[in-house]
Amino acid sequence: MRSTLVKATVVAVVAALTSVALSATPSSALQIKRIKLSNGAVLLVSEQHQLPMMSVSIAFDAGSRRDPAGKEGLAELTAASLEQGTKQLSAADFNQKIDFMGSSISIAVDRDYTYASMTAIKKYAPETLHLLAQSLEDPGLRESDIARKRSDQVAGIKANEEEPGYAAMVAFAKQIFDNGPYGHPTAGFADTAGKLTPDDVRNFYRHYYKMGSATIAVAGDVDATSIEARIEHELGGLPGTVAAQAEPAAPSVAPGIHVQLIDRNVAQANLILGSGGIARSNPDYYKLQVMNYILGGGGFSSRLMRVVRSKAGLAYSIDSGFSASKFPGAFAVVLQTKNQSADEALKLIIAQLRQIQSQPVADRELVSARKYLIGSFPLRLDRQSQIVSFMLQVELYGLGLDYAERYPKLIDEVTKADVQQVAQKYLHPDALDLVAVANQSAAKISASVLTTQATASKQ
Amino acid sequence: MNHTNLRLSVLAACTAAALAVLSGHARAGISDNVKYQKLPNGLQVLVLENHKAPVATLNVFYRVGSRNEVFGETGISHLCEHLMFRGTRKYGPEEFSNIIAENGGEDNAFTSADYTDYFEVINRDHLSVPLSLEADRMANFAPKGFDSEKAVVMEERRLRTEDSPQEALEEQVEAAAFTAHPYHWPVIGWMHDIQGLTLDDALRYHAVYYSPQNAIVVAVGDFDGAKLIKQLAESFGAIHNGPKPPPVTEVEPPQDGEHRVTLRHAANLPALAEAFHAPNYRSSTDAFAIEVAGEVLGDGKSSRLYKDLVVDKRMVVDVNVEYDMTSFDPNLLWIAAQMRPGVKADDVLAEVDREIDLMAAQPPAAAELQKAKNLEEAGFVFGQDSIFQEAMQLGVYQMLGDYHLIDHYLAGIDKVTATDVQRVIRQYLVKKHRTVGVLVPTGLLPHEAGGGAIGTVHYAPALGAEEGASGVRPRPEPVDFGANLGEVAR
Repeated sequence: MRSTLVKATVVAVVAALTSVALSATPSSALQIKRIKLSNGAVLLVSEQHQLPMMSVSIAFDAGSRRDPAGKEGLAELTAASLEQGTKQLSAADFNQKIDFMGSSISIAVDRDYTYASMTAIKKYAPETLHLLAQSLEDPGLRESDIARKRSDQVAGIKANEEEPGYAAMVAFAKQIFDNGPYGHPTAGFADTAGKLTPDDVRNFYRHYYKMGSATIAVAGDVDATSIEARIEHELGGLPGTVAAQAEPAAPSVAPGIHVQLIDRNVAQANLILGSGGIARSNPDYYKLQVMNYILGGGGFSSRLMRVVRSKAGLAYSIDSGFSASKFPGAFAVVLQTKNQSADEALKLIIAQLRQIQSQPVADRELVSARKYLIGSFPLRLDRQSQIVSFMLQVELYGLGLDYAERYPKLIDEVTKADVQQVAQKYLHPDALDLVAVANQSAAKISASVLTTQATASKQ
Repeated sequence: MNHTNLRLSVLAACTAAALAVLSGHARAGISDNVKYQKLPNGLQVLVLENHKAPVATLNVFYRVGSRNEVFGETGISHLCEHLMFRGTRKYGPEEFSNIIAENGGEDNAFTSADYTDYFEVINRDHLSVPLSLEADRMANFAPKGFDSEKAVVMEERRLRTEDSPQEALEEQVEAAAFTAHPYHWPVIGWMHDIQGLTLDDALRYHAVYYSPQNAIVVAVGDFDGAKLIKQLAESFGAIHNGPKPPPVTEVEPPQDGEHRVTLRHAANLPALAEAFHAPNYRSSTDAFAIEVAGEVLGDGKSSRLYKDLVVDKRMVVDVNVEYDMTSFDPNLLWIAAQMRPGVKADDVLAEVDREIDLMAAQPPAAAELQKAKNLEEAGFVFGQDSIFQEAMQLGVYQMLGDYHLIDHYLAGIDKVTATDVQRVIRQYLVKKHRTVGVLVPTGLLPHEAGGGAIGTVHYAPALGAEEGASGVRPRPEPVDFGANLGEVAR
């Protein structure tokens, strides 16, 4: 279904964005120009003349972390409402114009930022940019459109509820982040999203869509100087800046394994096992990247994949990751296995967490991780959308325009001792949150099997 | 769903031709720049230089998919694909992927009803690595750990189908739409069939279908094409052919009356999937008009079904039309929708019928037709933004018989008239040619009869974005194209 596909795509883009690693080669090819616009926005441009098309993305400091308590889902409803035409153009006319050009315009939310983006073939790029600018500076925000998008959002939440993987992720976020800014899904909950009003949306828009705090990235068949002038012209409005948000306390899990069981009529247990993690600004980020690659981030080369999938045949997919963004995120291992195998898989995972803490990794593992992380980067700067995401990441997380040149060194410096040290510091096999969406009578998950310090289920 | 995925690849597929059209180059598009060679052992090789980044992609297509299977052994094509990563006479299990990763590359594979594709994306300087590894596993297949890999595939089926109401519904619709043709069964296979497969089955299957005469190698990227062809000939040229693969002879008889299927499944919301038998590129020039008719009906937020069902009547969460003209044998045009809470599938079906009747009664207006063509054209250009997609297009078209189609696709679309659209709607989107599938939700709780919400937990995808965050190796390319190009990825 289209809705599912769009979500999957957004997820993929964001994952690429935050997990990207760079080697020197592509950055020189990117030739990023950084310009400050008169309204304070930062503009990043990479000329890419291979294809007659242009991609733009504007990041606003308006992610779901900005949702007020009780109004979870507001950032997303605001973004969706901004896609519904301008004061001059109804939603239908707006969509008609975009489709006629074969262009795409989307305003999408992740937990940190809202991204207003477009892609167009060259001959329609100016008009598509104009429509995007109009939807941001002069949006319709009509009551009827907002009500319709609210009802879409609630229906979407109910549709997502059917997917056990989503169910597990939402429950896990709640458990780890509690009521913090990352504790809810971007769509919010059916009851909170369902109560949002047109004024909530208009206020959120007025508050957070400020060009002085925005970053604009452009990649395409453009001339940097003329696109700068055009963007000054099109996006001159929305003055002002957004005040910084106070950083919440880093999540932590008390000793024991805290099990949240959700009963479902499913063939597989959907399991998430994890604890608190790091922010993107944490200097241990690169050591953790190497450690996690070896543990569970490295696809078929990772230990978790080898042990749980290749050897035991217990799962089709298993991976681990640190969600490192603006504020400290989570560490999580995610997998699905038939209900009856849940305990067995969990035991294998916990043993791997312990092993990477207690023993140094092998030479070949370290070298492979470094080579992959450094060598694979150019593969992920293939498309314009990826280049745009990369430029935004560099600016939003303060990585510096020389990040590309520095990255190989940052990874190459990581030693076996570093890997073991960050495993000891950031993995907590004796203090974990576990969410299991499963047919519980078949799964019979037993925390006591997993640890001697198990606590009772707190479902 | 396979139709979704394949269609995305088709859109992508056509990029290059659009380039030529758009930039007004007098001479045709990229097929002129493709170097093609058929080696003495029958292996077809296509290479295309693209120097935009220091990267190259290698795809090895085998003309084998679930279409080549027989009753009782469904899923063998896909299982065989998995086993291709479990070692050869020279390398141990998973060595393939480890070596690619150590060279900074990505690799994966997927199986569709029609073909199986193995691919690597890698720094240009390391292209010889996947080249020799692919040749090795074509010639020296010797997988280890058969039982655990079979267990992995069974987990994959649970994940993709058993626990996914929409996929489960589509599987039933396909099974009802095709009675004689192998498109009847799912690419991943029926669970009991998978369970019964043996290592000997896989070895036998590989011996028949994984031969040079049954394969096409496509490379796109930053390399010297002439040199690469020589290298490919050295790596693959000495590989011997097995027996000739038997042709697929089944032909689906015409359908003379509507089929209906009902699936009771753990879910909260009902869903609808209807599928009409439709010709493909190989069987009819109507394929282009059907593609355009599908665009008018269901592509974009200004399409007829989206405007009517999602925006105006607000009956469904989403609605989608899918059609893939590149299937080997005539396949289906799909219309699928997920209902909003409280909406009945029959009411949505009636509304879709009304929209189809309108299209049958009157040809689309000039602007609407042009919009559909513009969407195709832009999709072409966007698709060419990725060398992997370029390679996919060339491979798929070559399997249909001629990679030059890449430069004729848009012209075919452009020729479609409003009257053609009306004609194909009248001819193919008719009730007697369709299968209607309705998902009856039985609730999410075990042993629940009715349905309804569960507990206090709310679900949505927010964390998905985060868990990819630091260090999770992004899955290789296809995932980005909407979960992929064929069907069942590795």
